[in-house]
Amino acid sequence: MRSLVAAAIGLVLLTGVARAQDDHRLRFTVTGLAGQQLVQSTADDVTSKLSGSVIGFEGVMVGNPFMVRLRYGEGRINPKPESNVEARDVVSGEAMFGMRALPWLSLWVGPSARAYTVGESDQRWLVWWGRATARGALIPGRLQTFVELGGVFSGNVGNPAIKAGGRMASGGLEMRFGAMSSFWGRLGYGIESLHADGLRETVESLTLSVIYGLPQ
Amino acid sequence: MNRFLAVALTVVALLVPARAWAQNAATMLEQGVRAYTVGEYDGGAWLLRRALAVEGADALSNAGIARALLYLTATEVARNQRDSALAAARRLILLDPRYRPDQTFPQPVLAVYQEARRTAPSVSIRASGDTSIRPGAETFVVRLGSSTSPDVTANVTNGDGRVVRTLFSGTLRDSVDLRWNGLDGSGKVPAPGRYMIQVTPRGGNGAAANWTLRLPLELMQPSVDTTPLPPAPPDSLFRPEHGNSNAAVRALVPGLVAGAAIVVLPKIVSSSDDASGARLIVGGAVTIAGIAAFFSHHPGQRIPANEEYNRNLRETWQRSSQEIARRNADRMRQSRMIIRPGAPTLVTSSETP
Repeated sequence: MRSLVAAAIGLVLLTGVARAQDDHRLRFTVTGLAGQQLVQSTADDVTSKLSGSVIGFEGVMVGNPFMVRLRYGEGRINPKPESNVEARDVVSGEAMFGMRALPWLSLWVGPSARAYTVGESDQRWLVWWGRATARGALIPGRLQTFVELGGVFSGNVGNPAIKAGGRMASGGLEMRFGAMSSFWGRLGYGIESLHADGLRETVESLTLSVIYGLPQ
Repeated sequence: MNRFLAVALTVVALLVPARAWAQNAATMLEQGVRAYTVGEYDGGAWLLRRALAVEGADALSNAGIARALLYLTATEVARNQRDSALAAARRLILLDPRYRPDQTFPQPVLAVYQEARRTAPSVSIRASGDTSIRPGAETFVVRLGSSTSPDVTANVTNGDGRVVRTLFSGTLRDSVDLRWNGLDGSGKVPAPGRYMIQVTPRGGNGAAANWTLRLPLELMQPSVDTTPLPPAPPDSLFRPEHGNSNAAVRALVPGLVAGAAIVVLPKIVSSSDDASGARLIVGGAVTIAGIAAFFSHHPGQRIPANEEYNRNLRETWQRSSQEIARRNADRMRQSRMIIRPGAPTLVTSSETP
C-alpha cells in the first residue's frame, strides 16, 4: 500500500515537472534514489545494529531565492543473523522549505518523520530541522559537491510523546551524465542521529541517485 | 518707353513675392515674349528664365518650354550673349530634337539654332514625373530617343559619379525605354540621395561625339522600421577555453573540503556510535573528483566543454544577427522608393572642364 502511495506521489511530481518546464521562473528536479542504510538503535543502553535497503524519491522546486524539497523513502532493515532483534520496516519523509542565502549556501527548515514498524508496534520520530547546505562546483555544469549540516530544534518520539533532539550531516558528489544531458547521478553519504530519553537512533545511509533536472 | 518698361519690370520683380511669380509661369512667358518684341531684352531674358524655372503643377507645358527657350535664344542673340543663346538652343533641341523654329525670327537667331543642331547630339531623354516603385519588383521608366542611331551607354551614377547600375549599352535606334528596378549592380537598394542617369556615346570619335546627357534623379525612401542587430556577446559571457591556476584552485578546494567533511561527519553528529566505512567511499570519491578537476583546469589544459559552450554562444549570436539582417533586408525590399527626376541637361565637349 505504501509503495502504491509513493508511486502515485512520484507520478504527480513527474507530471508537475513536465508541465512546469516552460516556466523559467522556477526549476524542478526529480530524483529517484536507492541506498543502503545502517541503523544503530539504542534503548536503555542496549545497542542493536540493523541494515537494509531503502528506495525513495525526492522532488525539489527551486525558485529565487526560495526552494521547497520533499523527500520520501521506505525499506526494510534487518538485524545481524546472530542477533535476536526483530527486523523493521522503515518509512521516512521530510518537507523542507529553503532559501538561498548565498550563491553557494542554502538554509532549510522543516519537519521530517521516521517510523519503524516492528511487528504490530510502531515507533515514530517527528522532528523539526534547521539545516544548511553548501555547494561547490568542481567542473561547472558537470561535476559538483555538497555538504549539509543540520540540528533538531524541536521533536518528539513515541506515544506518549517524549521530547527528542538530534543532528544530521550529509555530503556527496553529483555528476552530469553528458555535457548537455538533463540527467545527473549522485553518490551520497548521510548520517542522522536522533535521541530522546533512553533512546538513540543513528542512521547512516549510502545512496545512489538519478536526478532529472539541474540540481540546486 | 523702353527704359520705362525696364524700370517697371525691375520694380515689379523686386516687389512681387516669388511665390506669386511661381504661380504665373505662363504670364511671365507672355511678358517675356512681349519684352523681346518691344526690344527690352534684359528684362525679357529675366522673365523667360523665371518662367522656365517654375516647377511642379504651375510649370510650363512642353510646348510652353519650347516657346520660352526659342525666345530666350533670340533674346540672348539680341543681347550679344552668344554662348547663352547656344545653351538655350541646345536645351530646346534636347527637349524636342524635331523642333523647327518659326522662320520669321531674324537670321542670326536661326543661324545660332542651326549651329546648336550641328553640334548637339540628337539624343533626348524624357521621364515621367515622380514615380514610386518597390525596388526589385517594379521599374522606373525613362525614354531615350534619337534620330541618328548612336552607340550609347546609359548608367545610373551616384553623387560621386560612380556607376551604380548600367541600364543600356548599345545602338540607340529611334527610342528605347530604360527600365531601372531601383537596385544597384549587386542587387542592393542604394541609399537615398541624389543620383543621375548619364548617357554617353560609346567609343565616340571627334569632338562632336563628346557629349553627356544627364537626367538628375532624387531617390527618397520613407523610413522603414528595422530591428537593430544584437550586440556581440560581452567577454564576460565567455568561459575560459584553457585552464588557469585560479580555476584549478577553485576546483580543488571544494573537493578537498567536502571530502574531509564527509569523512569526519560521524564525529560531528554522533560521537558515541561507530561509523561505517561508507563515509570513506563517498569522502574519497569527492576528494579524488576535486583532484581530477584541479588537473582538468590546469594551465594550458584545453577545456572542451567551455570551447563548445563558447562556440555555441558565438554561433547563436551570428545566427540571430543574420536572421535579423535578413528580415531587415526583406523589409527594406518591401518598402517603396520614390524617384523624382529633374530637368535633363546636355554637356558637350566645349562645356566639359
